[in-house]
Amino acid sequence: MKYRREASLIVLVGALSFLATLFDASFVPANAIDILINSIPTMIISCGVMLVIITGEIDISVGSLLGLLAATLALLSSTAEPGLGIHPYLAIAIVLTVGTLIGLGTGCLVVYGRVPSIIATLGLLIALDGAQDWLMGGGDIKHFPQELRYLGTGTTIPINLILTILVVAGTGLLCHKTALGRRIYAVGSNPSAARLAGISVTTTKLFVFALTGMLTAIAAILWVAKLGNVSTSTGAGLELKVVTCVVVGGVSIRGGRGRILGVVLAVILITMIRTVLNFMDLGSEAVKWQRAIEGVMILVAVTSDHFTQRNQPGGKS
Amino acid sequence: MSRTSKPLITIENISKSYGGVQALSKVCLNILPGEVHGLCGENGAGKSTLIKCLAGVVSPETGTITVDGKPLSHGDIHATEAAGIAVIHQESTAFLDLDLVENLFVGREIKKYGWLNRRAMERQALAVMHRLDVTLDLHTPLREFSIAQRQMVEMARACLRDCRLLIMDEPTASLSARETKTLLGLVKQLRESGVSVLYVSHRLEEIAELCDRVTVFRDGRLVATTPIDQLDRNQLIGQMVGREINALTRREEHAGQTDEVRASITGLYSRGSFSDISFEVRAGEILGIGGLVGAGRSEVARAIFGADRYDQGEIKIDGASLKKGSIQAAIEAGIAMVPEDRQHQGLILPMSVSENLSLTILTEITRHRLIHHGHETAQVQHLMRRLAVKAANAKMEAASLSGGNQQKVVLGKWLAIKPKFLILDEPTRGVDVAAKAEIHRLIRELTEAGMATLIMTSDLPELLTLSDRIQVMCEGRIAGQLDGATATEEQVMRLAFPRSEAQLT
Repeated sequence: MKYRREASLIVLVGALSFLATLFDASFVPANAIDILINSIPTMIISCGVMLVIITGEIDISVGSLLGLLAATLALLSSTAEPGLGIHPYLAIAIVLTVGTLIGLGTGCLVVYGRVPSIIATLGLLIALDGAQDWLMGGGDIKHFPQELRYLGTGTTIPINLILTILVVAGTGLLCHKTALGRRIYAVGSNPSAARLAGISVTTTKLFVFALTGMLTAIAAILWVAKLGNVSTSTGAGLELKVVTCVVVGGVSIRGGRGRILGVVLAVILITMIRTVLNFMDLGSEAVKWQRAIEGVMILVAVTSDHFTQRNQPGGKS
Repeated sequence: MSRTSKPLITIENISKSYGGVQALSKVCLNILPGEVHGLCGENGAGKSTLIKCLAGVVSPETGTITVDGKPLSHGDIHATEAAGIAVIHQESTAFLDLDLVENLFVGREIKKYGWLNRRAMERQALAVMHRLDVTLDLHTPLREFSIAQRQMVEMARACLRDCRLLIMDEPTASLSARETKTLLGLVKQLRESGVSVLYVSHRLEEIAELCDRVTVFRDGRLVATTPIDQLDRNQLIGQMVGREINALTRREEHAGQTDEVRASITGLYSRGSFSDISFEVRAGEILGIGGLVGAGRSEVARAIFGADRYDQGEIKIDGASLKKGSIQAAIEAGIAMVPEDRQHQGLILPMSVSENLSLTILTEITRHRLIHHGHETAQVQHLMRRLAVKAANAKMEAASLSGGNQQKVVLGKWLAIKPKFLILDEPTRGVDVAAKAEIHRLIRELTEAGMATLIMTSDLPELLTLSDRIQVMCEGRIAGQLDGATATEEQVMRLAFPRSEAQLT
């Protein structure tokens, strides 16, 4: 069945909602929007990382990149020391540019430098994290202009949620309805056949890395806008959460397979697990459970991927 | 044969088929102790399948193999090894980062109190090398050895394991003249020490020099086993090809052929692959390139299409020089290539038939940045009808189609761009007869409509029936040209087999 992964994720989300309802009948209606809003950074970045993984590469530097971009935005726009207090729209434009360029740089490292993406982005993960610490110089940064905070806290219309929906819809269209999307899948399924069909494997990979950088910048902006606070630990560990969601969402780690719907459902499911565990008031225990559950989910997702693909000839070598 | 000793290996009535294609049928053969037995035949004649059966990699459907009168269980690598049969493959299976001694004893190290006994292993290694009369350093990692030296190591390994039959599959394919000489000397040395050798080679001079008897295969059948002194080169080639031209008729006249030069290739050279490749293909003409596998045909095809770089030479399409090493530029110029290996290079197997067919025309079917479903379906349906692709629907995975239909999809993908110059590399390998006929019909039709076609094929009847002109490649060079209307299989094969060293240089 084509939509088996999506179906099982829906069943899991349903089961979890049912469990939560047993504890408290009003849990789901009261928390639905919260869960969605909490999932925003993961959701946006997962869209990019999903494309990277479909081309057969991986990017595990997105957590550090988000941290660095959030720190940059904070320093540029914060009205208090050590912020520069420049106009928030200009700051946003700078952050978007920097994010895209760093993504493109990652792509160049992988494509032209022929560094395996897992190693290249591991190096970046550490380097960008260091850069974030150096920029921040220790303390948290607060006090942001209203125009910026409005993006994350807008009272009547949740702008951040609308933006996220646009990103998800855009990614869906890109994947399933455009020439570029076809090429992304083709490159991930069989790079040599794609190349011989006249597709530029290089350009395709550069594009997905650059797009991931830009989406990470969007996520960083919305993060700062919502929380109004950036610390040295902002973004830490996010890359693992994103990769978990993408893999649990049914994207094959070998490239070439995966759909946006599965990834969206996986992001919702994993955010929900965290919310439900918090709600069950397990205290610090909850965090431990969260990580154990996520780990098992990755293993289950990857193993089932192995079993469904094992008997297919060809593909990547 | 004056030798009257009992055969070491007796093969009786071995048959094997792959998905309806009979790879071996009722083969009977014996190998005497201390004999070098040559194995010849065109590509796909059944030599490799026989080797695989002997090596226990493949189990034959019928028949028996006995070693010294004891039957060998089919498809059992361990039994084969225990019976003393060893295979040296074309590609070395050595461990490049381990040294000579470690390679010789890998998997069967000599131990003392559970620890490796390096000294004993070195002693045995020296003994076996002395027996083969070679000197190699025991402590050098194999990476630093030449290919020939690595092959010597493999032979030494076989000797260490008390091998009684050594199967060598084209061992000299990538060796220089001097290295070949050394290797042939080694084989003789082995024969002296009583080991039987089954020697597969396309180099007839080697067969003549080395073998006691030679067996020829054709289309999965054994043609004859003859003592080498009763056979000359031409008789041997005659045994290999001697078959009737199949039903497909040749082109009576050069229909549609013009004088307009579509593609001209001058002095193409790529280090280690091919050199001095020059030819022209006119609009409306099919140029066939024959030769043995490994002669460098695919490499030439890939270089023209921009998939590989080349060192020297020029490619012109309609008089305009083509950018080197750019597939995009080649496609822009109107070149299309159906690659040799459709599963790994031609198709994206997990994608649907429709997605595969539209891969080359994505920009044409895009409207307002989105792929227009109607345009895509129309194009795909048109191509599927034209090529008579048999698929339940266009949404089926390409992986689920038969070989013939997969090949039609690869071809269709390129017909979609209406190429001016089509390169086909083994277009009908592993394709059933019906699909093959349809592919041939289509190639002719398109060529008559003005396309220039370059076809590389190991299938002799295909080469002879389709081509207007034939060039034969041998060891990276063009060995000669033949007229498609009059060429015979024998002529092609005579050009395809390497001549002795003296004639080469």
